[in-house]
Amino acid sequence: MAFAPAGPAASFFEALDRHRAALRAALRRGGEAPARGVTSRASSSEVLASIENIIQGIVASLASSEAPVFMMDNRSSWENIKFEDSVGLQMVSHCTTRKIKSDSPKSVQNFALILKVLSMIYRLVQSNTYATKRDIYYTNSQLFGTQTVVDNLINDISCMLKVPRRSLHILSTSKGLVAGNLSFTEEDGTRVSCTGCSTAVAVPSNIQGLRNVITDAKFLLIVEKDATFQRLLDDQFCSKMSPCIMVTGKGVPDLNTRLLVKKLWDLFHLPLFTLVDADPHGIEIMCIYKYGSLSMAFEAHNLTVPAMRWLGLLPSDIQRLNVPQNTLIPLTKRDQMKLDSILKRPYVTCQPFWRKEMEIMAASKMKAEIQALTFLSPDYLSRVYLPNKLKFGGWI
Amino acid sequence: MEGTAVAISEILRYLIIHWKCETAGVSKKALLEGQLVISTEAFTSKHHANVLHCVTTITSGRSNYDGLGNKKFVKEVQSILSRLSAKLTWSYKDASGSPDTSGSSFQMMFEVDEKPRTLRTDGLAVKNFLRRIIVVHPKITFHFSVKVNGALAKETIRAENEPIFNLPNGIALIINEPRYVRPTFGATEFLCSRIHPVPGQPVTLSIPDDVAGMGLLGELILMPVAALCSCLEASSNQMDRISSVSMFLYGPSGLPLLLPGQRQPTTVFTDPSCFIDWKKYDWCVTPHLDFNLDGDLVLPDMRCQAKSCEGRLSQDVAPQGQTLLLFIFVDFHSGFPAQQMELWGAHTLLASHLNAILLENQRGIRGSVQMAVDQALEQQQHAAKARQKLQASHTVAVDSILSVVSGSTSSSFRRGCLQALQAADTQEFGTKLHNAFKEITQHRFPYHCSCEIRQQLPSEKTARSHMEARRSHSPEHLSETTERANSKRRKGGVEETRAYSSTPSAPGSSDRAAREQQGRVRAPSSAGPGSGLEVAEEGGRGMGLACSYVGSLYVWKSELPRDHPAVIKRRFTSVLVVSSLSPLCVLLWRELTGIQVRGAGQRQGRAAHREQN
Repeated sequence: MAFAPAGPAASFFEALDRHRAALRAALRRGGEAPARGVTSRASSSEVLASIENIIQGIVASLASSEAPVFMMDNRSSWENIKFEDSVGLQMVSHCTTRKIKSDSPKSVQNFALILKVLSMIYRLVQSNTYATKRDIYYTNSQLFGTQTVVDNLINDISCMLKVPRRSLHILSTSKGLVAGNLSFTEEDGTRVSCTGCSTAVAVPSNIQGLRNVITDAKFLLIVEKDATFQRLLDDQFCSKMSPCIMVTGKGVPDLNTRLLVKKLWDLFHLPLFTLVDADPHGIEIMCIYKYGSLSMAFEAHNLTVPAMRWLGLLPSDIQRLNVPQNTLIPLTKRDQMKLDSILKRPYVTCQPFWRKEMEIMAASKMKAEIQALTFLSPDYLSRVYLPNKLKFGGWI
Repeated sequence: MEGTAVAISEILRYLIIHWKCETAGVSKKALLEGQLVISTEAFTSKHHANVLHCVTTITSGRSNYDGLGNKKFVKEVQSILSRLSAKLTWSYKDASGSPDTSGSSFQMMFEVDEKPRTLRTDGLAVKNFLRRIIVVHPKITFHFSVKVNGALAKETIRAENEPIFNLPNGIALIINEPRYVRPTFGATEFLCSRIHPVPGQPVTLSIPDDVAGMGLLGELILMPVAALCSCLEASSNQMDRISSVSMFLYGPSGLPLLLPGQRQPTTVFTDPSCFIDWKKYDWCVTPHLDFNLDGDLVLPDMRCQAKSCEGRLSQDVAPQGQTLLLFIFVDFHSGFPAQQMELWGAHTLLASHLNAILLENQRGIRGSVQMAVDQALEQQQHAAKARQKLQASHTVAVDSILSVVSGSTSSSFRRGCLQALQAADTQEFGTKLHNAFKEITQHRFPYHCSCEIRQQLPSEKTARSHMEARRSHSPEHLSETTERANSKRRKGGVEETRAYSSTPSAPGSSDRAAREQQGRVRAPSSAGPGSGLEVAEEGGRGMGLACSYVGSLYVWKSELPRDHPAVIKRRFTSVLVVSSLSPLCVLLWRELTGIQVRGAGQRQGRAAHREQN
């Protein structure tokens, strides 16, 4: 590597290496990576068969002059969720279901739309072509109304068929960005290298098709906000901390970003860290990376990375670093509510340190953006805060 | 139409009013029930070949006929009959002395000479009158038979488990659509065979001075009920196209106000704009007085043809419009006058002075009717919209299924689908799918009638059990008694009726069972207001209030712990709201149930007033 940027001295990564070794040891203790790739790739014929099954069921119930009904797992209730430390939030096997009836004016539209999307998926899978969610929306935008309707339908169908979205041949334009010591070949043969560029590369939309993924990175840093991500890029954080990878999901991460993080973890068992705002929203985003979300719990084992650690910005850091009080923002009522609801979630019990941090936030009734650190000094984040944290193992 | 029909109707009206008074003490919601047998026997007269000698008998199989042979009534009926040179005899068989009261019955009989043609129209008019009564008194059964020179025509007129809508004034209305309109041709796509009545605001009618002078006392209340017939799917593009308007006029205690003979349409009825400002809907309404008595529909008091004002120019009179049914109930404000005879008289009085009364209150009536009609139309539009949505969605669903099936490469799947619907090819499969979807919505279209179904369920259930009980026991009994009576009359003439009334009753065991059942059913309610049933009902309401109080504590979805100040504050607010609303609820119930405190006081006051006079 001729132009490999000179990273910090080898001693810098001691803590990181120890952490990495510990993670690997834990993995080995817990057996091989849990059920990796078993359900992640439903073959096309399986998808076709399950769609045919559904259609046949509907035709059969019509033949016996009963109103056909879709049974959906209820994806919006915590009661259907079980928590497992090694996977995150998972759907329980006997979860409550909701019916989408075809004879009530309220749900008939939903029923029809599900059928419509099913038929489109059928076509896509048959012809082995891919379409984005936006594509599907535009095939009949009047019928669907809004993009969110389509997104929900696709999630519902993915949950109903127990098949990841990718296998439904539905893609979405990635929102996330990746930068740092990483190169891979996309499914169509394009070689992408993020190494050495000062600009970020969009997360590829077909994560499963990535080949020849190469990285020497010592760690992977997930940044909550695009603004911080760009700032770190400008500050040459990647080359200073080289070798490393930075990823951002620009807020709540989309499926592709989560899949990429999961893939990198599965391939290299890198230490993963998150840099989020010290507010309830930031904590929630971090939890989505780590343990998954309520609505996508049915696919948790393809998406969650429980090995992730919280690097910053910790509420305790705010006090420790003497961040000026006027840069802090008081918690709003909604923040309070969100914080309370996070504290009630099942995974908080196995994260006593997280719990402590959240309690500190609740007690101080203040939150802070990552940008609050710039008040200490303009490049405090990239030059002091992050290197020190990484060097001395300041994650929890 | 001659006097026979009027006389029969008059007698029936009298009997039903009598029943009504009998059950007046019972809960307001109980529906009137009973059986009446009307039989006419006609023989060709010995003197004139072209005249039939008719003997009409009306038998009522119910106990307790004190004061039935009221002099005034007998005089009245006799005056009607005297025009026909007929004679009325009545007999009353009292079995109250014996331990078994089931034998008592009341019978009225009169004889007239009539032409065969008149007899026929009379029969039809009476039948329509009976149907009109059935529509609001679904638990009454009429057995109507006509025998001309030995040829017997028999008909039982009753409600056959038909859906009922309870109006706020305590009247039940049959909402089975085929009762009111004939199903139109090609109307296989009826979604709902019910009408959906919308009650309007009750209007208090002020009685003009000259009418009040005639002895019509008390406060009159008019309640319009509007309903649209024919939820035709095909005509969704002409949703609010109304082709005809039918009006039904009911007097106190839910009896038709106009008798079959009195078809001298009052000006209110010749001028349909009295009730609604039709121009608001761009309708031109013309009265349509061609009454066809044949058929088994309930005939209105007035029927109008409605045309859209623009449509008149283009002359496109589609026969498949909707029919607007307008029921108008006139009743006394607090139940009815103390004396049943006064009520009976009031009926006649009201019928003759209706015109004046309605004209006097035209404005209020118009407003109320208009509101009801507006609501009915709106309801219809909502339903149509929901239906359209359903249809559009089903089309999408069918297309999607078709595209999957036709695009599938798995032959077993295709075969399975086609076989399930027994279709030969995908095209047929598509049409069959379409029909299947249509069918399921037709079977149980939730619609806006869901609320009504809920409302009527309990009453329907009891009605059914009553009816079943009746069907299993009563008919033999009644036919038996009438047969006996008829045979006796044939033998010995009028005097023998006395003998009939004194014969020891020998009722069958099945008969007794029916009585007992009836007694049992009525027992809880016969104790009058304050009986167990009503207490339970009121208790239930109180319970509801309590539940809403407690429930208001939990309506706030929040993550905060329960002793958080914000939560406590919210709970205080909601409790305050419920507490302040509960007196209103109590007042409302009192208003709706017409509770005894005020009503009884008024009635007593009126009675006292009358005594002073």
